[in-house]
Parts: sequence; structure tokens; C-alpha cells
Amino acid sequence: MRLHQPQLHQPQTEETVPSAEAPPKQVALAMDRLGQAARLIADIRLGADRLLEALFVTAQPHQSTKPLHLFLKEDASMRQHFQDLRSVGRQLEESGVLNESLRSRSNSWGLHMPLVCPDGAVVAYAWKRQLAGQAGASAVDRTRLALKAFTDQKRRFFPHLDDGLDDQGTESDSKKRCSPQVQMANHHEELSDYRTLSDILMSLEKEVPNLRIFTYERLDWLKRASSLPSSANETSLEISKEHNLYSSNKLRPGSLSNVATEKIAVIELLFPSIFRAIISLHPVGSTDPDSVAFFSPDEGGSYIHARGLSVYHVFRCITEHAAMALQSFLGIRAETALHSLLRWVCSYQTIFTKVCSKCGRLLLMDKKAALLLPPVYRPYRQFSALEMSYTQPISSAKETNNDLAQAYHVGCFSEEV
Amino acid sequence: MPLKWVLHWQPNAGSTVNSQILSEVSQCVESINGVKEGRWRATLTFYKPHTREPTQASEFPRDFLGISLPEQPNKYYLIIRGQRIVLEADSSIQTLMEKLQSYKTRVALYFDGFQYQLGDFQLRVGKVVPTHSENLRGIVMEVEYLPISSMEKGRQVMEEFVDIWQEALSKRSLPGHFVHIEPNFADYGLADSYSSQHSAVQYATVMAQLIATVQAVQSMRS
Repeated sequence: MRLHQPQLHQPQTEETVPSAEAPPKQVALAMDRLGQAARLIADIRLGADRLLEALFVTAQPHQSTKPLHLFLKEDASMRQHFQDLRSVGRQLEESGVLNESLRSRSNSWGLHMPLVCPDGAVVAYAWKRQLAGQAGASAVDRTRLALKAFTDQKRRFFPHLDDGLDDQGTESDSKKRCSPQVQMANHHEELSDYRTLSDILMSLEKEVPNLRIFTYERLDWLKRASSLPSSANETSLEISKEHNLYSSNKLRPGSLSNVATEKIAVIELLFPSIFRAIISLHPVGSTDPDSVAFFSPDEGGSYIHARGLSVYHVFRCITEHAAMALQSFLGIRAETALHSLLRWVCSYQTIFTKVCSKCGRLLLMDKKAALLLPPVYRPYRQFSALEMSYTQPISSAKETNNDLAQAYHVGCFSEEV
Repeated sequence: MPLKWVLHWQPNAGSTVNSQILSEVSQCVESINGVKEGRWRATLTFYKPHTREPTQASEFPRDFLGISLPEQPNKYYLIIRGQRIVLEADSSIQTLMEKLQSYKTRVALYFDGFQYQLGDFQLRVGKVVPTHSENLRGIVMEVEYLPISSMEKGRQVMEEFVDIWQEALSKRSLPGHFVHIEPNFADYGLADSYSSQHSAVQYATVMAQLIATVQAVQSMRS
């Protein structure tokens, strides 16, 4: 009953289909036929039972020709079943199910024909990533791979759930190395090497007025983000009340405890009515920034996190630029990366007031995006927090200190600057 | 909510507003990459006191307005300009007022037109028409900057946008220009954070300007 087939895999159907079928249809047909085969096998088993029964009955005395009829009938149907099974088997073979002849000729859809593994499992779709390219991976291998993927994700996003892993060990070592510093203004370079997270945050709070800093454990931040109001109908008084209620680690002198610092995973920098920046630390409690994102202070929702994107174009642009700045800070000097990043983020408090250092305007039509944007680029290449004087606080835009930080529109920014 | 400026069209001396100007304005918005989104409508109602004696009417405020805004479909805003009072009420207050019959509608106007998206800015261009006629009385424009809700923090951005807008519009040589008058929100007890009450006050102010313009034209003619 073998029909002539063209070279490419075209499954046979009862009526010959002239055109090639789409891969999902082939797979569906193959699954269908496997189901058919299973039903035929079940019928055969049943038939065998009936044959045995008929034989048993004939062994009894006082029987008519009934068992003979039964036997003949069952024999005929069994032969038919076997015949059908053979033809289904041939169809499956031809479409590459029972052997691997067509596995290499996988189509661009990434779908493989279902494969019957040695242990009897039917693999319907070969998900390459899960099965490492082998359609015949057994259940054990699949489970092992899935567990590994899960453990990696868990270690990455929920490190505080790990007990006694190496990360924790190196963290506590670096903390012991840090000397409790007293003098602030005199030893700039030494300090930047040995600063702990709490020192960085507290000095930032002192130097930048107008800035509110809040720290969170990772899951606490998710709760806070979801509860942020999405419209600014509240007065600033209500907003500060909310912060008192929800934030778990507020940095006020005297209230900081070492345990709390070790759990800090998210830093929130809020310039009221201007922007909110979220920085995530990895590992928890370290001074290694992982990602940063900017948002409007009126935005709220679970998408507000260090890898999220604002709904507003201006903050999306800044976030994209910030990702590059972060990589640059990490690449130049990883120990001071957080310090530099935080101060660089603070330079954006003038985002809606500081004109472009090249064209002198605040708004410019960005040709590519066809949008009016303020100067969203602030250079980071030569940005060194060490140049910022620690004795003078970075104050409002009216002071000349801010002239150190320049700002550019997307279109006005060029590498030479 | 995001801060917003409401501008109105000031025709040059001796000219009036017409629908040609309105279409030129709409085209100009599209020329600066504004994407048309949909329609919008606000209504403004002038109330007059319902009194037995005609002489009593002068004792009651004559500048009592009611405004409904598209972004707050369940609210109604009541303003007495002379006394700098603005109130946000549930829209069912209109039913209450009809039952009380203490103030009746003197004239009602629609602010009606299209809304455009321009990046983080949202613009609305609208004609001012009485509710039962197509007689164009004026043109208004709303400029909203979505990322900021503080009026002070967003002032520079708004000023620059309006400059850019005026520059783009001036190329069309229209007989007039848009004007932004900022009411003293503090007088109305409103804070720096923008709200629909601010919008209501701006519309009331715009209305006063439009009336003054019309009256000026009428006095010139007579």
C-alpha cells in the first residue's frame, strides 16, 4: 500500500493532498495517527481476549456452532486490525515518527515530527532549548534541565533565599575590610574605595537637597510599586505620609542598622514632582548596581522597577541612556560605580529646566522619533564623582556647580563632546 | 494629573474668527507631527438666578458657571468667578439644580474638536459654539504635558512648547494668535499640583476673555 511520495516530507492521507501541508498540520496528522495506532492496539488486545474466550467456550460441553462463528468473526476482525495497524505504522514511518529520518530536515517552524522514544514516551514537539536539540531526551533529562534553569533564575532574582552560598561569604568579607571612616572631606580617593552602601547613601542625602532616598528589600519594592498612586491627586504631604508607611529602611542617622543594609536590594531616588529613579543592587546589600530606570513621579504599577520602562518618552530615553552609563561606570571602575551612578542620576533633577549645552533650547524635535524632547543626554564618559567637591553641596540649578554637568538633546549629542 | 494650559484664539483688531482659521490650526498641529486621536468635548453653562422680582436678580452672582470636562465624566465643576470659588461636584448635581430651579441656564456652549498626540504632549483643538447653533464663537487649544503634574516644574517646558507652536503657526499668516492667560490659582485655593479644578478655572477665564473680545468688537461696530 505504499504510495509514491515526492522527496519532501508529505504525509499521506486517505485522499492524496496535492499541495504540501504546513508543519503544524503534519504534526497534528502524526499525533492523530499515533492515536489511531493506540486504538488499534487496544482493539487487538480486546480481540485477543475474545478469541481466548471463544476457545474457552468451545472447551465446554454442550456447545453449538456459536463459538465457531464467534471465533471466525473475531479472527476476521483481528486480521483487519493487524492490517490497519501495519498501514498506520507505514504512514508513521514515512512521516518520520518511528525513525529519525526526517529530524534533520526540520522546517523553519522549528517543529519536529513526534518521536516515540525507547522508553515508550511520545515526544510531540522537540523544544530545542529544553531538550538540548535531542528529540529523544528522556523525562529525567528534561526534568534535570528544567530544574537547572529554575535554580539559575532563583539565584539571580531571589538571592536572599539562598542559604550559605558563596555570595554571602564574599559579602561579609568585603564588609570586614571596610574601615569605619570618620573624616569625610579630606580623603576622597581612599574613601571611594572603602565606602559601604550606607555611607554612600547617607552622604548623598546630605549633599543633594531636594532628594528623597528610600531603600527596600526586593519583594518589599514590588509591593510598594504596585501601591504607588497612578495619578497625582495627592499633595506632597500625603506622599510623604505614604512613604513613612511603606518604606522599610529609611536612612536617618541613628536608625540605620547593619542587618538592614545587608538586605537592601532596591534604592529609590525621588525628586518630588520631577522624577523617580529605581536602582537595583545585585547581590543584595552590595555596592554593585545591576540596573537603573527612570519614571515620572506620578506613575504607579508593578512595571515600576529597575528593569521596567516608563510610559513617557522622555523617561524611556533617559533610561536607555542610563543603561549605557551604568555599563560605562562599571567598566571604568567597578568599586565606585554605584557612587558615580547615583550622582549622575542626581544630575537629572534639571531635566525640565536645563537647556541644551549645544543649541541653547529646552525642547527640540527629535527627527528620528518625531517627538519634542528636553535634553535627555548627560555625558558620563568623563564623569567622575571624585571631581565633585564633597564640601560644597550640589544645590539648585541656579548655582554654578551645575555648569559642570552638561546636557544635550539626542540630536545635539556627539562623541567628541 | 498632568499639567495643562488652555489657550484661546485672539483675533486681530477688526477681524473675526472663522472655520478657515480652525482648519489651518488643525493642519499646523499635524505638521509638527501631531497624531490625530479622537474627538473631545467640554460644555460650559452660564446660569442666571431665577427670582420672582426682576430687581432681586442683581443681588445674586451673575458669573455663576457650570463646566463639564471630558476627562471627568462623573463630575461637574461650579465656579463663581467674582468670588474665586471653584467646586468639584458629582454630575448628579445638575439634576438637583433642575429640581431646585434656583438657577436656570442662560446660555450653554460646547468646546468641541479633535485631540492629538505629540510624544509626551497631548493637544486638543476645539471650536466654541453655542449648543444649538453652528455659529463659531471662538477657538480654544489645550496643551497638556503628561510626565509632569507640578505647574511650577513644568512651566519652562510649557513656555517653550508654546513658543515652538506660535512659531509654526506664524508661518501661515493667520489674522490672530493664541493667547495664554494664567489665572491666579492660589486665589481659588488651588495648589501647585494640577487638577481638573485648575482646568475648570482656566475655562472660566477663557470664557471671560472671549466675552470681552466679542463685546469689544460690538462696541467698535456701534
